[in-house]
Amino acid sequence: MSVVYCHIFRRLISYNPYRKKSTTMPLKRVFFWQPNAGSTVNSQILNEVSQCVESINGVKEGRWKATLTFYKPMLRDQALSAEFPREFIGISLPEQPNKYYFVLRFNKIVLESDSSIQLIMEKLQSYKSRVALNFEGFQYQLGDFQLRVGKVVPSHSENLRGIVMEVEYLPISSLEKSKQIMEEFFDIWQDAISKRSLPGRFIHIEPDFSDYGLADHYTSQHTAVQYTHVTSQLIASVQAVQTGRN
Amino acid sequence: MLQQHHQQQQHHHLQSAITAAPPPSATTSTPPSSTTGEAPPKQVALAMDRLGQAARLIADIRLGADRLLEALFVASQPHQSSKPLHLFRQEDESMRQHLQDLRTVGKQLEESGVLNESLRSRSNSWGLHMPLVCPDGAVVAYAWKRQLAGQAGASAVDRTRLALKAFTDQKRRFFPHLDDEEDGEGTDTVSKKHRNLPALAEDNQDNLSDCKTLSDVLTNLEKEIPNLKVSTYERLDWLKRASSLPASANDNTMEAPKHNFHSTSILRPAPQNVASMDKVAVIELFFPSIFRAVVSLHPAGSTDPDSVAFFSPDEGGSYMHSRGSSVYHVFRQITEHATVALQYFLGIRSKTALYSLLHWICSYQTLFTKVCNKCGRLLAMDRQSALILPPVHRPYRTLSVSKQSSSQSISSTLDQGSNAPEAYHIGCFSDNM
Repeated sequence: MSVVYCHIFRRLISYNPYRKKSTTMPLKRVFFWQPNAGSTVNSQILNEVSQCVESINGVKEGRWKATLTFYKPMLRDQALSAEFPREFIGISLPEQPNKYYFVLRFNKIVLESDSSIQLIMEKLQSYKSRVALNFEGFQYQLGDFQLRVGKVVPSHSENLRGIVMEVEYLPISSLEKSKQIMEEFFDIWQDAISKRSLPGRFIHIEPDFSDYGLADHYTSQHTAVQYTHVTSQLIASVQAVQTGRN
Repeated sequence: MLQQHHQQQQHHHLQSAITAAPPPSATTSTPPSSTTGEAPPKQVALAMDRLGQAARLIADIRLGADRLLEALFVASQPHQSSKPLHLFRQEDESMRQHLQDLRTVGKQLEESGVLNESLRSRSNSWGLHMPLVCPDGAVVAYAWKRQLAGQAGASAVDRTRLALKAFTDQKRRFFPHLDDEEDGEGTDTVSKKHRNLPALAEDNQDNLSDCKTLSDVLTNLEKEIPNLKVSTYERLDWLKRASSLPASANDNTMEAPKHNFHSTSILRPAPQNVASMDKVAVIELFFPSIFRAVVSLHPAGSTDPDSVAFFSPDEGGSYMHSRGSSVYHVFRQITEHATVALQYFLGIRSKTALYSLLHWICSYQTLFTKVCNKCGRLLAMDRQSALILPPVHRPYRTLSVSKQSSSQSISSTLDQGSNAPEAYHIGCFSDNM
């Protein structure tokens, strides 16, 4: 059944004749804040991080917002739910206002579609949003780098669940060629932030893009995959804290 | 012959009638009587009409002169009938008529004040101005526009020529030593003269004497440096290509092996054939995913570079040319450095300037991987510009361009080799390098 749904979506998406060409974007790494054992994330940390960006000559540019939604299928017979993909995620990104991305994490599928797909899904009453998260914050320019620092909050709530940071290097789009640059930038960042002695650190775990069929040239689909992974890591760390408390 | 002379005289008379005619009457302040009855818009329209007529008549006269000359030529051939004489008479009549008409139109234009500036001071409530024919023949719809535009009467080509002349004069004035070197160079004296300069590089100039033509230089480059894509363009073709970028980069990306989809680059132009090498004015050096460099040659087809600029591999637009500037800081910095390097190559090594420049440009293929030779890091915050940049400086004075060593140093690249060209951050670079 899950295959059928994938098929339907693919057909819906394929009405866009240009779907196969994904525009090359400058490459980006998404980091999430990992609080130290026994501490939690709070807005004070977010402030310190923002100040740190400004201390390395980051120029505040504006706001940004991305959303991530967990979908569950609307089924009459709940017993069939096992046949559906375990995690079906929809993502909207600020740099692509006309697109919507789907990621099936366990099936290693990522799809780019027109943003009107959300309306279609609603009309079809095929999938319902189970949990929705907002990533929002400020964007900073540092020469050829662009940084985004944002809080993770469930939609319809102000509860800070996490902090994410995007580091984007604008001049090139090859993951392979930019590896060293990104790593060194993170070293510079670490130097700056460690002076503030915050209870935690930013982590980036690079997903295996080739599993998803993505190439070396960075695209927004890569970003969608990164957000999916970051979210699952955030959830895991929140759950770990909760079990720790209990 | 006599008729031709006569016609030439009339031509001169005509020219003087059109150019800088004296005011129609002694009293310049009062407008000529023929125009008082009409409203300014009609006057302007009439004037424009007459100018058009005059232009057509002048064209007819030119054609007529051609035909007369042709008839003369035919007449000079042996065994001709009376045909040329007949042609002659025909043309003579029509020429006289044209000239007469032109005189009439000229008088009308004079009277309406188009050929002089007598009407400039007259302001009319309509805010309209009579067209003005300037001494160099340019027609300006509004007399004041001429003032504002200044040199706008000259065509763009003239302006460029003037600018180039001015620049060459200045160069001769402020850089006399460069001219001396160019003048003093003979093939024999080269090695003797340059002994006191960084010796290694200069001795090798002789080795490259077989790289004299543009295609030699480029073929040599392609052979020595893998990974590099060299393309050549005529100047206008480059503009078209620049505007179509970066689409070709995207077309080359392969999507998921799962989906088994291959795209072909439809926008990459067909490779230049050697036959049009003499029109090549732009060389593009493309290292996929790293950078794109644009070098301009002047004159076209020569091996004399006159400007260079670096861009991101994903950039595109009509601003991408050898005097343009990238939107990214890193490539802007490299372009600045490259301009200085180019001047050095042109001044000190003018014979192999292009070859040296292109090789030096290729040393940037390690831009995002080679750490700075001074501080050992890849990224550093530049104090002056407050930007985080990779090492954007590559030394050019000690660049060795002999064939053997360059193939060693650049092909063994992936930069960790000790032969690799050096790199420095802006702050780590000192001028004597």
